Amino acid sequence: MIHAVNASHDVICELKGIQKSFERGTGKPLRVLEDINLDIRANEVACLIGPSGCGKSTILRIFAGLIEPTKGRTYYHGEEMKGLNPGVAIVFQNFALYPWMTVESNVKTVLQAKGLDEETIKAKANRAIRLVGLEGFEEAYPRELSGGMKQRVGMARALSVDPEILFMDEPFSHVDALTAEGLRAEILDIWDDAERNPSSILMVSHDIKEVAYMADRIVVLSANPGRVRTIVENPLPRPRDMRSPEFLRLVDQLHDIITSAELPDVEVSAPEPSLLPDLVEPLPATSSSDILGLLEYLETQGGTSDLFQVAAATHVPFEKVLVSVKGAEMLDFVDTPKRQVILNALGQRFVRANMDDRKDIWKAQLLELRLFRMVMELIELHHGELKEDELLSELQQRLPMENSEQTFDTLVTWGRFGEIFAYREERGILTPE
Amino acid sequence: MMHRILDTMWGQANALFAPFRRRRWVDLLLVAAAFGMLYGLILLGHEWTALQRPQIQVDLSPLALPKYTFFSMMRGLAAYALSFVFTLMYAYWAAKDARAERLLIPLLDILQSIPVLTFLMPLLLVMVALFPRSNVGLEITAILTIFTGQVWNMTFSLYHSLKSVPSEFHEAGTVYRFNWWQRFKWIELPFATTGLAWNSMMSMAGGWFFLMINESLTVGDKDFRLPGLGSYMSVAVEQGNGRAQIYAILAMILMIVFLDQVLWRPIVVWAQRFKVEDTVQNEAPSSWFLDFVRGSRLIRRWDLWLARQRRARAHRLRHRARERTGARRAERVAPWMALGALAVVTVLLLVGTVGVYHLLAHLPGKAWIRLLKADALSLSRVMISMGIGVAWALPAGLAIGLSDRLSRIFQPVVQVAASFPAPMLFPTVIALLATLKVGLGWGSIVLMLLGTQWYILFNVIAGASAIPSDLREVATSFNFGRWQRFKELYFPAIFPYLITGCLTAAGGAWNASIVSEYVSLKGYTLQTFGLGAIVSQATADKDFALLAASTLVLAGTVVLFNRMVWKPLYRLASTRYSLSK
Repeated sequence: MIHAVNASHDVICELKGIQKSFERGTGKPLRVLEDINLDIRANEVACLIGPSGCGKSTILRIFAGLIEPTKGRTYYHGEEMKGLNPGVAIVFQNFALYPWMTVESNVKTVLQAKGLDEETIKAKANRAIRLVGLEGFEEAYPRELSGGMKQRVGMARALSVDPEILFMDEPFSHVDALTAEGLRAEILDIWDDAERNPSSILMVSHDIKEVAYMADRIVVLSANPGRVRTIVENPLPRPRDMRSPEFLRLVDQLHDIITSAELPDVEVSAPEPSLLPDLVEPLPATSSSDILGLLEYLETQGGTSDLFQVAAATHVPFEKVLVSVKGAEMLDFVDTPKRQVILNALGQRFVRANMDDRKDIWKAQLLELRLFRMVMELIELHHGELKEDELLSELQQRLPMENSEQTFDTLVTWGRFGEIFAYREERGILTPE
Repeated sequence: MMHRILDTMWGQANALFAPFRRRRWVDLLLVAAAFGMLYGLILLGHEWTALQRPQIQVDLSPLALPKYTFFSMMRGLAAYALSFVFTLMYAYWAAKDARAERLLIPLLDILQSIPVLTFLMPLLLVMVALFPRSNVGLEITAILTIFTGQVWNMTFSLYHSLKSVPSEFHEAGTVYRFNWWQRFKWIELPFATTGLAWNSMMSMAGGWFFLMINESLTVGDKDFRLPGLGSYMSVAVEQGNGRAQIYAILAMILMIVFLDQVLWRPIVVWAQRFKVEDTVQNEAPSSWFLDFVRGSRLIRRWDLWLARQRRARAHRLRHRARERTGARRAERVAPWMALGALAVVTVLLLVGTVGVYHLLAHLPGKAWIRLLKADALSLSRVMISMGIGVAWALPAGLAIGLSDRLSRIFQPVVQVAASFPAPMLFPTVIALLATLKVGLGWGSIVLMLLGTQWYILFNVIAGASAIPSDLREVATSFNFGRWQRFKELYFPAIFPYLITGCLTAAGGAWNASIVSEYVSLKGYTLQTFGLGAIVSQATADKDFALLAASTLVLAGTVVLFNRMVWKPLYRLASTRYSLSK
């Protein structure tokens, strides 16, 4: 069966069977991407979204040719790509402006790298600066500018080289919300001009609304290791209204997809202990205080709320809320039918208790988890002094797909709050409380 | 299932043997080390009270080296202890007393630019007069000379830290009614610790530079020697004993590595806990020795005991009021004491100035002209040596710093090289230069370079490895060429580090000019015209007037150069080229 996939839309770049592992100082390399197949087509805005650690930025850098994949191939206009992608310019999350250069020099310097003559450089730089509304700021240094203005410089720099695809790596996460709103609309206006480059945009984001607003295709990734979970087409006509019912429905749908990936409703039947004695639960990367905050918030909402609403009301990024909910669920304080989060009886008792009782409940719940029982056993086995390194290597063995350092950090904040063990950072040991 | 059972059994067995296995050998080693130290100190005590002889016999056999190395090390440590106490007092005073600050800080600036050797002769004469019979005077002189090579940097570091304590910290101290001692103990000293630890390490390295001269002092026709690594080396050089020279160099390297591993690294790692920023460093420094000691049961017992004592004391001090009033009284008296001390310092300075003026009044105008000529010549040597240093250390440092693998290998090597007292290598290098038919006029540039280039290299490496990765990604993704990358990213990014490195190197080069323009070898002296040679000559001839004049010119040049060149460059580096926004 032949699909006329490539006939209807021109593919600019493509990843085939990409796998990426990073070497770590100790132990096994960390696998961050697994079997990624993805393309960027002409005249589209594609967005990558997913929980932290899903390798969004790594995919972008592999597309750009900044990082070599461990396995797999990269194509540019059908030809296999070696080294840098010639059609790409990047807007960076932290702006990455050279602090010793003025706005104008920051833009000019990338044009000089192309070996253009002085007059062309001047003209192109001026056009790019005008395009993003930075006239009058040419002689300013980056440190004099606000976050939003800095990112305008980053955009001008990228646009000045007239890239076929504009890559943006969480470009608005360090820009205040109002400014970000404006910048999104502006960048879409620039892209919309069909006569000119950039033909396409690839953006990494963790903001679901932003993605729904900007993207034609939304690539949802899952973490550990990063995989493409699904690709959602966004057919909404532009310009999009963020309050329209269709828009909100799409946002809801995206929430559902991500939620069901992270909090599956199907009860995962725990593997029989006798069969798999080595398996322990992976910990969601959330601190005890975040879980506490979530529970307190639920209590003010009468014990039940919608995931999306939690994120909106507390101004905490959705993915962060999601991991906190996951943590609370693991400790059996909440139930999560669909997108609802409901404080259960234990959760209610916990929230209403005083600090000492809270700690007792927390401690009891921790000891329900196989991971914490394992840690306590290890501490005992090492005569009350468990070395950080030993626990790390143990975690790496038992949770090979997880980032063991992150698991360790989470484990320490949970354990410290429950006072089941103490962690002395400078000596790198865990001791019983 | 099987491995489960094994696991349990192994665990049980382990538990059974635990008391025997528990790091007893760590304690044993520590006790042994303590006894070794004690024995060394007894030897040192003998040495101090020994009759002063014009020329002690230095035993060139390698078996004598451990003893000599120990003696030299103890001198360095004693000098460091002195530097530390001085630093605490001077820096605190300067930071807290606005009136004194105006005098103390410029004074420190001048003291820093006076070559170490200038202090040597007057000190020695005073000390020998005070202790005519025993070695105590000589020992004190050696220690004080090392002290003058260490202390100024440390004092500046602490002063700057004390001045830059965030005001919120002070406000917290005020709100909770800390007295001056609590404020110092809980706010100011912890805040300054990280900087002080790094600076101590660097200063100690600087203190070794004149080791050979400190331990074999020649003034006028008198030749004083103290047993130590420096005098061993100088005797080896005098006798042209190549093998003994190599032994001495090896012993020196061993001592530097030993101190680094057993003293400085643990201190720097320990000082990490006082870091104020919350930013996560890529790689936190670690120390095997610190881990090792922390594994010791003796040390842990000691810790516990200390904690108990502290608790007991806190218990006793329930009635805090008395301590409070004591501290309050001290706070009331302090301003008067400070004023008195300031008056004493001022009087001393005036007397000193008058004394120097009288000395200099006798000096004919022609001598001044000669001094200025020598100054110009030495200055150009210092500049050329810096130029050569930058020319090779900049590309090399970039290459090393930009590669994780290379910097892991080279950084410790460079650190040791920077701590190594270059004068110990001079005889070899001079012999090499002689075969190449290079005179000391140009050769002294090479000798200066030998000691100072490492500071530049060290700083460039540090700068290059601190370049943020996203700035490097910009250069890669927009396809910068090699030259553009250097000009627009690497050079500006390391500029502040380069300036720091050059400043340190220039100071070192001036100090080195004294020993590199005037070198004693196998009983004869090589010298070339220059300010450093004049300082050395004046010391050897016991010519106070010339010594004072040449020191004045040298210090004046250094201070002037700092003001006119380094300060503006520094300001540029910390504003325009700073990466921290």
